[in-house]
Amino acid sequence: MMESDGEGGSYMRRVAVIGVGVTKFGKHERSSAELFAEAARDALADADIGPAAVQALYYGNVVGGETEKQLHMGPQAASVLGIPTIPTTRFETACASSHAAFRHAVMEIAAGVSDIVLVGGAERVLTVPTAESTEYFAYASDATWEQPLGLTFPGVFALVARAHMAKYGTTEEQMAAVAVKNHRHGALNPKAQFQKEITLEQVLTSAYVADPLKLYDCCPFTDGGAAIVLASEEIARRRPRAVWVLGSAAASDSMLMQEKKDLARVPTTERAAAVAYRQAGLGPADIDVAELHDCFTIAEIVATEGLGLFEPGTGGFAAEKGWTSLGGKLPVNPSGGLKSKGHPIGATGAAQIAEITTQLRGEAGPRQVEGARFGLTHTLGGNLATVLVSVFGRD
Amino acid sequence: MTNPPVITLKNFFERAREGTLTAVRCGKCGALAMPPKEFCPMCQQRDWTPVPLTGDGTIASYTVIRVAPARFLTEAPYAIAVVALREGVSLIGRIVDIPLDALAIGLPVRFRPITRDNQTTVGFGPA
Repeated sequence: MMESDGEGGSYMRRVAVIGVGVTKFGKHERSSAELFAEAARDALADADIGPAAVQALYYGNVVGGETEKQLHMGPQAASVLGIPTIPTTRFETACASSHAAFRHAVMEIAAGVSDIVLVGGAERVLTVPTAESTEYFAYASDATWEQPLGLTFPGVFALVARAHMAKYGTTEEQMAAVAVKNHRHGALNPKAQFQKEITLEQVLTSAYVADPLKLYDCCPFTDGGAAIVLASEEIARRRPRAVWVLGSAAASDSMLMQEKKDLARVPTTERAAAVAYRQAGLGPADIDVAELHDCFTIAEIVATEGLGLFEPGTGGFAAEKGWTSLGGKLPVNPSGGLKSKGHPIGATGAAQIAEITTQLRGEAGPRQVEGARFGLTHTLGGNLATVLVSVFGRD
Repeated sequence: MTNPPVITLKNFFERAREGTLTAVRCGKCGALAMPPKEFCPMCQQRDWTPVPLTGDGTIASYTVIRVAPARFLTEAPYAIAVVALREGVSLIGRIVDIPLDALAIGLPVRFRPITRDNQTTVGFGPA
């Protein structure tokens, strides 16, 4: 048996990504199930398998109950795809939903229950005005202690930003450097919501959303879908483009901002990363490329620190120096990240995994990290309360 | 036999409305918690006693919300702070009666209940 996550037990069978698909991110007129079906169609074609080979669906979505008045989305997504009889489960861990779905799908294959599993997610939020989506996203903070105050998601990360600035001297210019870098990357990604570069000046002069975070420190609201085909070693080893799942770990913490011991750090990231690295037999120095959760610019900074890619307090400096740019010592978010590629929350984790798979296959075109062999994905949900970290490698 | 919780959320906000913050202290290891929990996160025991707090603390971090959720649109901009209370626990609340440009980490503040439409929320005003 696998041990509990806290122990970082090893898998019984190796698992690989054999196909990926992502819709264009942005505004769509189709339902989230249709968006997922498009991504899944592309992922199955990429894997060169038919839909009948899929044995289960692990699905992520967050605010469908509010924006689409739709629950029970697993069977719905499978039906729209045309495979209504497979077992399905919807996962909700706020913005980390499809990464949580991914981890459980990996375990289903590792445990020998299935050989081919479809994972992914989709979200539609541009169906409602910003004030309404802001409110729905705030449902991921505590309904007794935080929502009645009018705390928003930018507000949560503003509390982190202010603490990080006070503790480490991180500046608004360093946070802005993250936005400029991710837009530069996103301009190279045809699936990105914003395929245009921005200047430091534009970020610094944009309006405050939740001080010290400004409009251009924040990722957009996004519609989109993403899908991953996972397979057992027996199936994957005949496929030269397979990318191995070397580790996948989850960590949680109190949801309440008042119960965080240090607002300038994210211990969920630190704990999930420690387990994922241990499963993979790798450390932060081995990682060639990372897709991580930059819902706000400060979120990328604290993620690079929590993952051990940079020392605590130096993530802003690293971004400002260009170390996390394509061509830098450790490219972060070559896809453009949530900031520029967009953040359809239920699809985000799967889309990050799709990007790392594409990078490790050497198929990322103008945004390719040359020679990337080991990659990492990091997805954060809610008030820093859920983090998933997965590590990938090619033979 | 089931033991009733030593303090429910309803109790907490009833006492808060009267001006008193209430935490719970673990009888085994002395840890303080707010809100209350079934088991002590430090020693996993269940031996809680409610304890009143002074309501005095300092700002640990803060933000000014300018883009508000739908139901708070007319109130923006407003400030929210995590306040480190004197006793060693923290509490998140709305800032009241302090100019937004006077906010700073370390600024002393004092608990002040905000009751509107019969719902009490946590506020902090000048110390």
